[in-house]
Amino acid sequence: MKGALLRLAILGLAVVMLAGNAVAAEPAAKPYRIYMALWRGWEDAAQGFKDYFINQNIPVELIIRDAAQDKDKLKEFIAEAKQLKVDLVFTWGTTVTEEMLGRWDASDPQSYIRDIPAVFAIVSQPVGGVVPSLESSGRNITGTTYLVPMETQVNLIQSYRHITRLGVVYNPLERNSRVAIDELSAIGARSGFEVASAAVEVVDGKPLAASIAGKVAGLKAAGIDFLYIPPDTFLNVSRDILTGAALEQGIPSFAVGENAVVTSKAMFGGVYRYYTVGQLTAYKAEQILVHKIKPEAIPIDAPKRLSILINMPVVRHLKLYPPMKLLELAEIIDPAEGKRP
Amino acid sequence: MRQDGQTSLAAGFLGLPSARSVRGSLARKVSLALVSILVFTLLLAAFFAYYKFESVYSSLVQSRYSFVVFTVKKKVEDSLNLGLALRQLRQVQEIIEREKARDSQILSIQVYDAQGEVLFDTDRGAIGTFVGSGLVDAAKASSAQSFGATDDDMLIVGLPLVNTLGKVEGGILLRYPQAYVEHGVGGLLIQLSRTTAELLAVFSVLAVAGLYILFGRVSRKLGSMERTLGTVLSEGGQAVPEAGGDPFEERFAEFVTKSREATDHIREATEEIGRLDRLA
Amino acid sequence: MTLDRTRPLFVRLLLLAFMVLVPPVGLLTYDALGEFSKGLVPELDKKAETVGRDLAASIERAVGYGIPVDHLVGMDEFFTPVLRSNPEIRYLAVTNRDGRILYLTGARREVLEPFYAVADFDDDAERVRKSNLGDFVDLAQPISGKNGRVGHLHVGIDDGFVRGRLMEIVIDIAVVTLGALLVAVEILLFVVLVNVIGPMREVGMVIDRVRRGDFSHVSGSGSDDEVGHFVSGFNAALRYCDDLFRRLEDYIDEVKAAHFDKSVVERVGEIEARVRFLFRFSRQGQPDVITERQAADIRLPLFLFVFAEEMSRSFIPLYIRDLSVPIPGLSPDLVMALPIALFMLLIAVVSPSAALAASRLGSRRIFLMGLVPATMGFVLSAWAYSVYDFMLWRGITAIGYAMVTMACQSYIAQISKQERRAQGLGVYVGAVLTASICGTGIGGVLAERVGYRPTFVVAAVLAVIAGMLIYRLLDTPQVSEQRSSPHLRQYLGLLRNWRFSALILFAAIPSKIALTGAFFFLLPLTLMLDTAVDLGDVARIMMIYPIVVVTLSPLAARLADRTGWKAGLVALGGVIGGMALVTPLIENSPQMLALGVVLLGVSHGLSASPQLAMIPDVCWTECRNIGQTNVLAFLRFAERLGSFIGPLLAAAFLPFFGYYDSIVAVGAISLGLSLIFVVLSFAYGSGPHIEAELME
Repeated sequence: MKGALLRLAILGLAVVMLAGNAVAAEPAAKPYRIYMALWRGWEDAAQGFKDYFINQNIPVELIIRDAAQDKDKLKEFIAEAKQLKVDLVFTWGTTVTEEMLGRWDASDPQSYIRDIPAVFAIVSQPVGGVVPSLESSGRNITGTTYLVPMETQVNLIQSYRHITRLGVVYNPLERNSRVAIDELSAIGARSGFEVASAAVEVVDGKPLAASIAGKVAGLKAAGIDFLYIPPDTFLNVSRDILTGAALEQGIPSFAVGENAVVTSKAMFGGVYRYYTVGQLTAYKAEQILVHKIKPEAIPIDAPKRLSILINMPVVRHLKLYPPMKLLELAEIIDPAEGKRP
Repeated sequence: MRQDGQTSLAAGFLGLPSARSVRGSLARKVSLALVSILVFTLLLAAFFAYYKFESVYSSLVQSRYSFVVFTVKKKVEDSLNLGLALRQLRQVQEIIEREKARDSQILSIQVYDAQGEVLFDTDRGAIGTFVGSGLVDAAKASSAQSFGATDDDMLIVGLPLVNTLGKVEGGILLRYPQAYVEHGVGGLLIQLSRTTAELLAVFSVLAVAGLYILFGRVSRKLGSMERTLGTVLSEGGQAVPEAGGDPFEERFAEFVTKSREATDHIREATEEIGRLDRLA
Repeated sequence: MTLDRTRPLFVRLLLLAFMVLVPPVGLLTYDALGEFSKGLVPELDKKAETVGRDLAASIERAVGYGIPVDHLVGMDEFFTPVLRSNPEIRYLAVTNRDGRILYLTGARREVLEPFYAVADFDDDAERVRKSNLGDFVDLAQPISGKNGRVGHLHVGIDDGFVRGRLMEIVIDIAVVTLGALLVAVEILLFVVLVNVIGPMREVGMVIDRVRRGDFSHVSGSGSDDEVGHFVSGFNAALRYCDDLFRRLEDYIDEVKAAHFDKSVVERVGEIEARVRFLFRFSRQGQPDVITERQAADIRLPLFLFVFAEEMSRSFIPLYIRDLSVPIPGLSPDLVMALPIALFMLLIAVVSPSAALAASRLGSRRIFLMGLVPATMGFVLSAWAYSVYDFMLWRGITAIGYAMVTMACQSYIAQISKQERRAQGLGVYVGAVLTASICGTGIGGVLAERVGYRPTFVVAAVLAVIAGMLIYRLLDTPQVSEQRSSPHLRQYLGLLRNWRFSALILFAAIPSKIALTGAFFFLLPLTLMLDTAVDLGDVARIMMIYPIVVVTLSPLAARLADRTGWKAGLVALGGVIGGMALVTPLIENSPQMLALGVVLLGVSHGLSASPQLAMIPDVCWTECRNIGQTNVLAFLRFAERLGSFIGPLLAAAFLPFFGYYDSIVAVGAISLGLSLIFVVLSFAYGSGPHIEAELME
């Protein structure tokens, strides 16, 4: 499915007319011109953004630019967007967003896009970065978040089974992991579970993948009943080792990322799909362009519905079956049945 | 009442039509009123019974079909959540065709988008047409509950399709024949009408009979008082109420006596004057 | 059976009416119920099958993923919402191949186990099996896994569901029957009065005159039935006597005029004097016709008219809500209350002049004139476009309503002699309350079936029928005694009597605030919050009020007369009325509201008649000065202001408290004022209060 959806990055200028079958309301309406600034090529969020306009029959002209992870290109993008006098700018990712739209407290606003309304997507920490708060950007932009709130993640785990001790293996070099563990502990204190954490060993300033299995075994000995896999580049790379160790120890695991569940052996996970995030971002763009709502009046939020992923072979191995309701809501990953989302 | 004097036809004396010709007209009047009330009551009761049945029955049918629609909705929305556009969900056509095949009463199931364009329809010829704006609005208005509508002789039950953003993407409609509900409740209607008619016939007769008995007594009483009056006035004698006569009859007897007394007295006075007149 | 009095004949007639009306309705209901359950069962089965198929599919999917059927997790949470949204399904269960219950929601295990234990679930047929398990119908749907059958999903249909629906029909029909019986009473009473009792009462009056030797009157001419025939015969006898007397007179005159012998003339004069001494004949040359009008004549038209108005009682606030468009500057709740408040205000304002007009122009004319705006109001309400024009149509209806009711009161007042006025008023109140019972009940059930708008049309038709009935009513001679209308100053002077003012402020007004604010306005809206409550239920709950009032009122009146404890009853009624509205404090439920309605009925049943009966005592001096009628009219006017305030007050609370608590708030105000009256009532004393003026 990934392959089916993931399009090749479109480089250079590509003007896509998406008139669709325009309905009586505004048949000859001039399409809205949207400047899409991407970071890693065309992927699901961009696709969701585009599809939304097709589905809603909103005529748009998309001017698609890919920075291909090159920060320097972004300056050109700013100039081009200003020169084209587009109706709206879409920015993908933290770097593109911060470089093109500027931090909320930037001292040199003229060097960013300020007059054209903009929507951003896939920005991991928008608050304190591009915006002062999620309620309002206080300026001409709005956008979406894509990380599942910790509270929601815990609720999801709790809905699978009641937990008393949650285990976390983390990369001590990643500051975010520590933050996540503190946050988890705080929620645990409120809702009645403990957090047992184990840091991966670091050798030569690099985390040691080989130490993961031992840490998981240690946590198992500490009596954890669920393993939490935080979003972490190192852990993502070593996901097979980590989830494999959990499986071997008979510990169910919950992952925040899609990969650990879909392409590895984490038991289940809860994510916002990029495609959905892209659609939500387009929805906000629609509010601005079609319904003429001021961007600062549109709060920055995440999609309403979470995608729940359940890795059925792991479930069968652990014999820890999901509740029927969760099963009904979830996307089941079961290669044996040929079922993949 | 019983008279002491001789009897003769009082009516003749009074120069009135015979009491027989008006007999029963009081009962007729009251019968008309009572039978009308009976008709009204039974019809109203039958009407309410029928409509209650109709509403329970049709809401049951509707809830069944809305459950079917709900099943389709769940499947379609699950697919929507995977990030596919509604019009790309080829499997929807298969889903709705399978549901239709399960129930021969289902006329059609269709899935339309937010603009009302039919994207999938069990009647493939209708794909690409547009549903009425009323249905599009109904879907948008009821974001969670099912909505109902009628279309010629078809009943429609629908549910909106909501995407992950909580936005209505379109709707699903299921059409089933009105005749199905009519057939289901028709039997009751016929049965109710028959029973109502039977009961009406029987109890109307009873009502009329009862009223004739009741007012027969009234009319006999009146007749007997009338006869006494005639007899006493034309032939003399005294009106004595029968044993068990009520206060009214006693008062009436007094009246009769007093009238007779008055006529006698006036006659005597007339005769006396006549005598005096002739004497001179 | 005395023919000139209502009761004996009427009781027999009612008995007969009861015997021919109730059994057929009962039989019809019985028959309908049988058909009903027969028709409903197959559809219920289909529904259960549809639900079952979907659930079975979900379970099969889970089983397909390799979850053993006896290891499914969270089945209760899975089943519960299905049970909640499908009330006809009582339980859901899964059994394994041996018929052992693996999961069960909605019923107790012990109830089903014996049935499943003996049932043979081992055949591999792919069909739904239906079996009767005591109170349930069990539909078993096979669940198959990769390796064949793994068990069954059971959908249990509750017999109670069908029974519940049947009960609803029975209650519907019972309401209709009660209404029909009351209508039958009214119509039969009318028919008997007009055809039998009325003429016979006239005959009785003539008889009483004749017994005193007075032959000057005959009874009014009768109809073409037995009574008419009798009356003709009766009159003929009188005319015969009269005729004899006339001839005697003529003869005497002739003798007197022509006879030469003075002594004969003298003798004839003596005879004439003797006859004239013994008997009295009309001086007009022929007997006068006596006509006796009765308060009850107006009863049926009044009944029909009030019936028409009360039909919309249960749904007026709901209708307004449907019509409601936001009016800038006013809260939507206030907009909902406005038409009701306006209706009450207009009645209060129009009534005094309508009463005056009725006494000047005649009741019949005012009744007929009042019907024009009232009928128009009903018809236009049916076609109301928005809340604005609806307010106008209700205003018109209010004017008509005031005119019609005042015309009836004036008619009754004019024809009933002083000592029978209370009885006449009883006729009025009786007609209004029975109409209220029938109108509320039948109107609500009807509106539920055919909608609000057609119900207004039915109301208009009833009003027209009332007009046709009143048209045949002869007008009463106008009373020569033109009551001089007291000046406003005199009315206001009434308020200086603290007992009277207290009665108005702390008894009459609070009870009306409770009635219009909480009962007329908030109750239907609040009841409809509960999704299980439909309009028919609202109407049925609301009709409890007049039923209770009608039952209690005569008892309270008798109690007040016998014990003289009038202020006490008023105070007690007030407190009960206040408590009636705080019942939601116990629980926010339709049941508590129904209890509140009962208590409100008790309250007004207890206090209404003693309140009126107190007036002559409390305002002894004022009644002498400006007339009791005027004092009562002022009381009415003042309490109608309470009716006006009620809905507005309730609407003002709504945004702050919500529906249930607004009822409580209105109740608290009413209760507070009533408690003040309780305290004051101890200072009332008993008997006439002449000192009221002396104290000033």
